[in-house]
Amino acid sequence: MVAMNTRGGQPQTNLRPIRPVGIDVPSPHHRETALAGAATHSTGDRPSVMDAVRTGAAFEPVIHPEIDALDPIVQTRGFELFYGQTKALHSITMNIPRNHVTALIGPSGCGKSTLLRSINRLNDLVDGVSTRGEILLNGEPVYAPDVDVIDLRKRIGMVFQKSNPFPMSIFENVVYSLRIDGERRRNVLMEACERSLRWAALWDEVKDRLKESALGLSGGQQQRLCIARAIAAEPEVLLMDEPCSALDPLATLKIEELIHDIAERYTVIIVTHNMQQASRVSDYTAFMYLGRLVEFSPTDRIFQNPALPETEQYVTGRFG
Amino acid sequence: MAVTADNPAPARRLHRRPTPLSARGEPIVWITGMAMVVCMVMILVLLGLALVMGSLTFWPRPIERVTLRTGEALLGVPVRDEAYDPGAQDAAAIAALRQAGQLDPATLDREGRPKRRLYRVGNREFGEPFRWVPLYTIAERSTEPRAVLLERLDWGVWIGIPEAIVRQETIDLPAGSEPPAEGRTPDGLRYEQRVTGEEGPGGAVRVLRRTYLAEGDSTWDQFKLVHPLSRATAAKVRSMQKHDVGEVNFRLESARLKMREAELALARTQSGRHAPISLPAWLSIAGLGLGAVGLGLSLSASRSRALRAGRPDRVGRRMVSAVAWCVGLGALLGAWLERPWAAPDMTPEKLAEVRREYEATTARLNAEYEEILRRIRAVDFEDAATRIVVREITGGRFAPLRQTEPDEPLRLSQVVLGVQANTLSFRGKVGVYLERWREFLLDEPRDTNTAGGIFPVIFGTVSLTILLSVIVVPLGVVAALYMREYARQGLLISIVRIAVNNLAGVPSIVYGVFGLGFFCYFVGEYVDTGPAPAHVAARSSWWVGVLALVGTGVGAAWLGLFARPKPGTAATGNQRALGWCAAALWVGAAGGAVWLLLTTPYFNGLYEANLPNSVFRSRGLLWSALTLALLTLPVVIVATEEAIAAVPRTMREGSYGCGASKWQTVRRIVLPRAMPGIMTGMILAMARGAGEVAPLMLVGVVKLAPELPVDGHFPFVHLERSFMHLGFHIYDVGFQSPDSEAARPLVWTTTLVLVVVVLMLNLSAIRLRSRLRRRFVGGAF
Repeated sequence: MVAMNTRGGQPQTNLRPIRPVGIDVPSPHHRETALAGAATHSTGDRPSVMDAVRTGAAFEPVIHPEIDALDPIVQTRGFELFYGQTKALHSITMNIPRNHVTALIGPSGCGKSTLLRSINRLNDLVDGVSTRGEILLNGEPVYAPDVDVIDLRKRIGMVFQKSNPFPMSIFENVVYSLRIDGERRRNVLMEACERSLRWAALWDEVKDRLKESALGLSGGQQQRLCIARAIAAEPEVLLMDEPCSALDPLATLKIEELIHDIAERYTVIIVTHNMQQASRVSDYTAFMYLGRLVEFSPTDRIFQNPALPETEQYVTGRFG
Repeated sequence: MAVTADNPAPARRLHRRPTPLSARGEPIVWITGMAMVVCMVMILVLLGLALVMGSLTFWPRPIERVTLRTGEALLGVPVRDEAYDPGAQDAAAIAALRQAGQLDPATLDREGRPKRRLYRVGNREFGEPFRWVPLYTIAERSTEPRAVLLERLDWGVWIGIPEAIVRQETIDLPAGSEPPAEGRTPDGLRYEQRVTGEEGPGGAVRVLRRTYLAEGDSTWDQFKLVHPLSRATAAKVRSMQKHDVGEVNFRLESARLKMREAELALARTQSGRHAPISLPAWLSIAGLGLGAVGLGLSLSASRSRALRAGRPDRVGRRMVSAVAWCVGLGALLGAWLERPWAAPDMTPEKLAEVRREYEATTARLNAEYEEILRRIRAVDFEDAATRIVVREITGGRFAPLRQTEPDEPLRLSQVVLGVQANTLSFRGKVGVYLERWREFLLDEPRDTNTAGGIFPVIFGTVSLTILLSVIVVPLGVVAALYMREYARQGLLISIVRIAVNNLAGVPSIVYGVFGLGFFCYFVGEYVDTGPAPAHVAARSSWWVGVLALVGTGVGAAWLGLFARPKPGTAATGNQRALGWCAAALWVGAAGGAVWLLLTTPYFNGLYEANLPNSVFRSRGLLWSALTLALLTLPVVIVATEEAIAAVPRTMREGSYGCGASKWQTVRRIVLPRAMPGIMTGMILAMARGAGEVAPLMLVGVVKLAPELPVDGHFPFVHLERSFMHLGFHIYDVGFQSPDSEAARPLVWTTTLVLVVVVLMLNLSAIRLRSRLRRRFVGGAF
């Protein structure tokens, strides 16, 4: 189906990016740099990326040079992941810059959540998962045999698609990661709780009922609570797996503002299905398709002037 | 819509049938509704019957005075009527009556068969306490206002007409006096007396004097006044007999056991079984222990140095350190147990000392015992003086205390409850009713369980159920946790799961047989007397076994470490094989641990001195609870597994994502969240356990338990004691009772109590569950 669209919808005379449709028309200056950037990476008259993906042929993803110039916090080096015999991620190599928001987009099943969950090794919990290649967090390999996975996960916060407050009070939810570290001092816990809840813009709403069950909060509040819980441990990276997909627009707006604020202090990697959201909250965006990284560029570039036509088709909603 | 080539007309259906009834689902609603109604009716009939019959048992019913045509009179409480097939005698008598025109047609049923009525006539000393009276033989029926029904401590019910309350005492009159048969005391009370024939001190004439405290119609008022006092005195006697005498007996027994233990200790010391080992052997053991502990210390120190310096910890070093610690501490423990400088536990001199002490204690306790007996006799003498004369009307006799002395009036304290049923007001009836309930719930049974209360029975049932759930819930939860959270879901775990589910289908009596053989006899004997002497290993070989066990355990752990696949990779065949080897070693280690326990030379049992009496090698509460725990384990495991599986995956992932370990996740997220489901399993287990009878008959329930499992003597809770149980009590009262007519209403009442007890246990668990559910699961968007 995708093939039909790609083939039939667009005569492939060349692979130069064409004007994006459906979003703001970028300034001419911007387009020129985009063209220049794309030209340095794409190798002229190469075959369609979609063809390469489908046939399993190797292809070089388009990665904007600006990204590699930044200080990376998470680096993947030819990372591959298998569910049993099925290859879910194909040799992903990318540097995720520190203290920025990076969005992973792509159609369902493209492996963006899998990649996200590989960073904190949450995929270890799934039976039959094996990996190849490596992921570095601050230059240290994540998949080395002597890595303490528990310690690793403490350095990486995670927010899930469905809000998952624990069956305990709001206070205990927020300080959960401190509790499991054995922190007992009341004032330390209280301080961390208030700080995290303020960061998550939830403090004013719940400060009078910290002792009540977290399960009594509304959906948006629960998700912000999960964010507060994730940042209470002062993680180095915050992973967000479609954090707004189950929320109404108002709650989504709040969370997006929140991500914006958090990005000042943390590196955020966010998986989203919502293109507008990616364009609103992220600094850099990676487009993935069928387990491969296709294009990784600054967000405005991806949405306004992508290097590859496939990316453009996806972000403008013509396939995916 | 226009039909075009692109938009063809839909194919026309020729017949459009109305929706059939079956498609609407109405009949299904009716059928399911009917099925539910049938179930509800059956349950409600059962519960309603228990409720109605059980609650009517204690309502006081009127006493009828019946005069038969033969002139015989009797007092009785009518129980029920029925028609019966007349014998030749009956037929002839009925024909004669009919001829004489005296036959009341109401005495026959519609088919002309005679009816008879069951009367509770009591007075078991003289005959059957229940008597069928054919209605046609009755000349006259009336209610006798003075008739009373006495519930006695022994011999069941006495029904008669109260005549007098007397004070009966033996008095010594001056020698040579001629006592008159009758007289009046200075207070003006009438007395009767007769010479007993015995001679008092100094040739005094001993007479039995009966002073009438109340006579005639005032008797019953006087009874109501005096009876509570008399009961209190009797209660005091019983309490002294039970507690004071019991206390002395207990202390006597403790002293004897202490003495016996000393003797056994001396026998052991002299038998050579515990002869000290040679000094070189001891020195090498102690050296081994010190060396290994030193190695462990130095390894631990180097580990912490390495960790501080930031070098990674090595698994090998950790393992060697663990082995060194195990071996070292084990060897040091052995060295301490075999310490050569220790004085022998018991010497003949010490034993002589203990014996002297024992004899002194015994003498003191015996004196104390005599004193208590004297006090009991004094109170009892006072109690025996006040008596009540209640004459039954058939033979004109008044209640004998013992059948050998027919004119001995009944002791007042023998009467538990007296009811003048025919003159009771409604309030009085309610009072009697409540009093009987109070007695039923709070007193002990008497008269081979056909009367009195069922307090020990309720106590036994409740404590069994609580103990059972205390045992089964942790066991089941731990097993389910392993099966669901840790074990790899493969063939092996499926087999285990099927086996567990099948356990639920094994007939409960099988558990009883197993419990009797394994818990009562095998484990009980081990607890009582330790390993059988023939099986006890030599100390050296036992310690070699300990070393081998440590080695096996460490090896298993080591292999298990190697069998773990590298993170992010699947396990290789070699790792699988290593894992199986590790599992086999673990099984071997567990078997070895059991073998070491069964052959240890350092354990002589906790109650060897009690032989030949057994303590734990008998049927008792603990073994019953364990047996029932085994029986209800599948229920808890299945419920817990389901509850754990129902914990959302997102919640676990959230916890892992926060950096929680598996155990932290289980403890803080999975278990709390699964707690309501676990409680459901517990409720089911409790309901099943409380209602189980068959295995209990084998492993601990008795008809009449002399003592509760809880008392004031250390350790206060005596789980080895046998106990009573409501389920078995129903069977015993209903079907093993010598007086089945009297026991029949009690069956209903006991059933009612059982249902209520189970209901209350369940309700409390359900309340707990709903509280947990509110806390852990609830929450609305």
